[in-house]
Amino acid sequence: MTNRISFSHGLQALLLAAALLAPLIAGPYWIHVGALAWYYAMLASSWSLLAGYAGQFSFAQVAFAAFGGYASALLRLRLGLPLILAVAAAVIMAMILGALMGALVLRLSGPYLALFTLATAEIFRLILVAEEDVTRGSLGLQVPGLFSGDSDLPYYYLGLSLVVLTLLAMNGLLFTRIGLFLRAIREDESAAQASGVNTTLHKIVVFVVTSGIAALAGAYYGHFVGILTPNMVILPEMGLVIAMAVIGGIESLPGAVVGAVIVYGLSEMLRDYGEWRFVLLGLVLILVQRFAQNGLFPFLERHFDRPMPLPSPTRNALDIEGEHVNLS
Amino acid sequence: MKPIAIAVMIAAATCLLTVNALAAEPIVLGWVGPLSPPGNFSGGQEMQWAVQLGVDEINKAGGLLGRPLKVVYEDTKGQPAEGSAAAVRLITRDKVAAIFGEFHSSVALAEADVAHKQGVPWVGTDVWADKLTALQYPEVFRLAPANSLVYVKVAAWMAEQGFKHVAIIAENTDFGQDGARVVSNILKEKHVDQKLVTIDLNQQDFTPALLRLMSEGAKPDIIQMVVAGQAQYQIVKQACQLGFAPNAKTKMLGSTGLLQKEVWEVDGDCAKHLLVVNIATPKSQWNNKAKAFAAAFQKKYNRAPTGVAMEAYDTLGVVAAAIRKAGSAERKDIIKGLSQISYVGVNGTYSFPATTDPAWAYHQFIDVPFHIIQYTASNQAPSDAPIVYPKKWATTDKLLPAN
Amino acid sequence: MTYFMLLTVNGLVIGLIYALMAAGLTLVFSVLKVVNFGHGSFYMLGGYAAYYAIGLLGVPPLVGVFIAMVALFLFGVAIEWLALQPMYTGKVERKDEYAIIVTFGLTILLTNLALVVFGPFSKSPPAFLQGTFIAGPLILPYDRLIAAAVAVVLLVALAWFLARTSLGQALDAVSQSRESAAVIGINPKRMYTVAFGLGSALAGGAGALIAPIFALSPNMGELPGVQAFIIIVLGGMGSVSGSIIGGILLGVVQGLGVGFLPDPNRALAYTQAFGALLLIFVLLVRPTGLFGRAHTRLE
Repeated sequence: MTNRISFSHGLQALLLAAALLAPLIAGPYWIHVGALAWYYAMLASSWSLLAGYAGQFSFAQVAFAAFGGYASALLRLRLGLPLILAVAAAVIMAMILGALMGALVLRLSGPYLALFTLATAEIFRLILVAEEDVTRGSLGLQVPGLFSGDSDLPYYYLGLSLVVLTLLAMNGLLFTRIGLFLRAIREDESAAQASGVNTTLHKIVVFVVTSGIAALAGAYYGHFVGILTPNMVILPEMGLVIAMAVIGGIESLPGAVVGAVIVYGLSEMLRDYGEWRFVLLGLVLILVQRFAQNGLFPFLERHFDRPMPLPSPTRNALDIEGEHVNLS
Repeated sequence: MKPIAIAVMIAAATCLLTVNALAAEPIVLGWVGPLSPPGNFSGGQEMQWAVQLGVDEINKAGGLLGRPLKVVYEDTKGQPAEGSAAAVRLITRDKVAAIFGEFHSSVALAEADVAHKQGVPWVGTDVWADKLTALQYPEVFRLAPANSLVYVKVAAWMAEQGFKHVAIIAENTDFGQDGARVVSNILKEKHVDQKLVTIDLNQQDFTPALLRLMSEGAKPDIIQMVVAGQAQYQIVKQACQLGFAPNAKTKMLGSTGLLQKEVWEVDGDCAKHLLVVNIATPKSQWNNKAKAFAAAFQKKYNRAPTGVAMEAYDTLGVVAAAIRKAGSAERKDIIKGLSQISYVGVNGTYSFPATTDPAWAYHQFIDVPFHIIQYTASNQAPSDAPIVYPKKWATTDKLLPAN
Repeated sequence: MTYFMLLTVNGLVIGLIYALMAAGLTLVFSVLKVVNFGHGSFYMLGGYAAYYAIGLLGVPPLVGVFIAMVALFLFGVAIEWLALQPMYTGKVERKDEYAIIVTFGLTILLTNLALVVFGPFSKSPPAFLQGTFIAGPLILPYDRLIAAAVAVVLLVALAWFLARTSLGQALDAVSQSRESAAVIGINPKRMYTVAFGLGSALAGGAGALIAPIFALSPNMGELPGVQAFIIIVLGGMGSVSGSIIGGILLGVVQGLGVGFLPDPNRALAYTQAFGALLLIFVLLVRPTGLFGRAHTRLE
């Protein structure tokens, strides 16, 4: 029986309102944390699309983010391109690389695909470290800020708008035929192929879209934090993104956003525990998976209007049977 | 009793109570540094320990300006995003009067940015990138040397000693990449043949790297390791097992990590004849403060403090001195105090002049003491090893083993 | 020629030890259909277990390795029971995700716990045998030689165990089809426990063998963990012989890459990339690795 949270439009509007208003009560530290959380939110939700909807368990998401960050920064710094142009160019380049990646992994599945993408991410990280003449290696590439003044508020709202925009874009995609075909592919690829779905094209399209979003997120991150280092691409960072997507509900894009906010917020809250901070985080991840794999937000589901499920892929017949509406 | 007397007594009592309440309010400072991966957590741990020792001492002696001192410690993990989040948290939630510490230059740059925007003093303990002070933020001060301060001299010394082929092994972190560049450039200027290779710290097998270095082209007569901490042990061990170094034909020069006792546990006799750059005054020059600190650190933590620990202890001392000089724990006043003090710490006498040329000398402690020692006997303590540089402290002018 | 030989031998030796670790990972995968992202931390724990066994109990180093393996077997069994059993007792859905998150959470937990408990400073257990083996142009420290030899023994024993003993064959049966194995009377749940324990023991053994060669630190398992993933994919997941060949291949390719790539600085800086490139190349040509069976889900 699944208790999967379905994010009705009402619920999403509520969460958006909460995010918009949060800075009023939050204070500068949590605004800063929120602004960082939006970076992870974009990565987690796009990864949800890639892995949850298209079944491509890729470990390269953070690498695309780093690519976007470094490329846009270098285009600005070295070639003097204006901000929008530099970011757009970086996103487009990332999308091309994403298409390439999608094409390369076509014949791979499951853990083979995961490790292939992990290998490419590692190589990219090594390039960032080794080619210090271009990237400044581990010293980090400094990126000029976007807003003057000392408040993080503009970054917070910029990040939030980017999250909303990318969610809208991804949802838009899902409501088209492409989305329909993606779900078909995920449920049973051979059947989909037999029915004439161009699985190749669709898998590549998803890679293109999600790497573009990741690159955008990376560009945002670079301009907010002010410095990019190859440590963005280490395995624990990718693991964190996966954890956020899974905790939020791997088959729900808004869920991934919520998961990102929760997990990142949690890792900051645990600072009070000093050296036990990450021990506890690891423990929490395990316990949440063990005891609340689906039911992380049942209370949300119970208290708002009747969930109208967004297109969410179902695993098999059993799930459709088991899905129920929980009204109180 | 006359009413006026009562009134006076009440007033006096109120004053006393208020003063006591004020006195109890602690001065809060923020410490930042790596305590977990991917940062250099062993360096960060030493720094934190040294600071904790200092805080205890200050509080036992009555605190700062009559107020207890409290330090909030934040783990920045070697990740700039952690550094900026930690800085924002310390400034806005803990309302610290100043931030100090840090081991990684890239993280320090992110923190310094936040500190600059908020007008909070930031004092760097062991961050070496020139860029940090070259930014010339009025809030930023640094105790650690800039790479240009130390490695320029080391490179010059190598040229002077007549080494003809230098192999530089640098770690792929901010410290390694920046420092190695400085050495490499100076050697190029002095027309000394040099090879620069970067290694990944996490990977512990340096045998292929060493094989390559020693087999290609002219054999190096000195290998300089720009590697923080304990990865050097592996390089030394493996070079020794291969029969490459340290020996009469090829010397090895490393940094702080080789000063810890573990070097003899891991490398055994291979560590004999190692040359080590020590960012500290030699033991023979220690002032009373240094001796007291070393004894207290050894007693509490069961290991001898390295130069990094001393820098950390001194950073706290510097901030405390600035607060005392300014007579206030307000951020602006501390900044002013830092730019004016002359403080005698364990590693030297600190001042932070606002020099603008070279750019990195701004708010940089210039007289960073350092010397180069050479181990000459097994299990030797660094303080017993002969000093080969600088001349004013040198106890020997020969490098062993003699050719 | 000497240069080439030294690089190859060194790569072979290190590769064999990593192959030991990878064999454990591939065993876990083949039986439980789970990629244990926490495998690197078991390797690390094995190293520390040996260190403390030698230090506190005063046993000779090789006995320390044995103790580490036993300790990690028990630890693996405990973890499997606590954290992984829910996967096949119907308590969780979406088992792939569950496994990934739980094992990833385990890595974070164990690495940071090790940092708190063991402290941040490097430790080094005593050598198996001091000194260096020199035979003509061949130079090989005794520690490496002995570690490689022990790894070979363990790998051969593992192969024999899987092929010749009834327990081993039962494991193999479950890896091929859980249901069919159940039909002939094998208890899959028990096999999962055995496999996970055994896999952890192998990782722990690898860590204990490496400990005198390199240093011990709480995050020492990160890189070897990634290399183990590369090896099992190279060799084909689920294939123990594949992981042996994969390990050797990785070690040798890495050594030769470092030794022969024209630019010495890049050659060293990209050390890890050689293995990754090898992996990418193999997967493009053979999507299930050199000797792998097609990936099947945990039923």
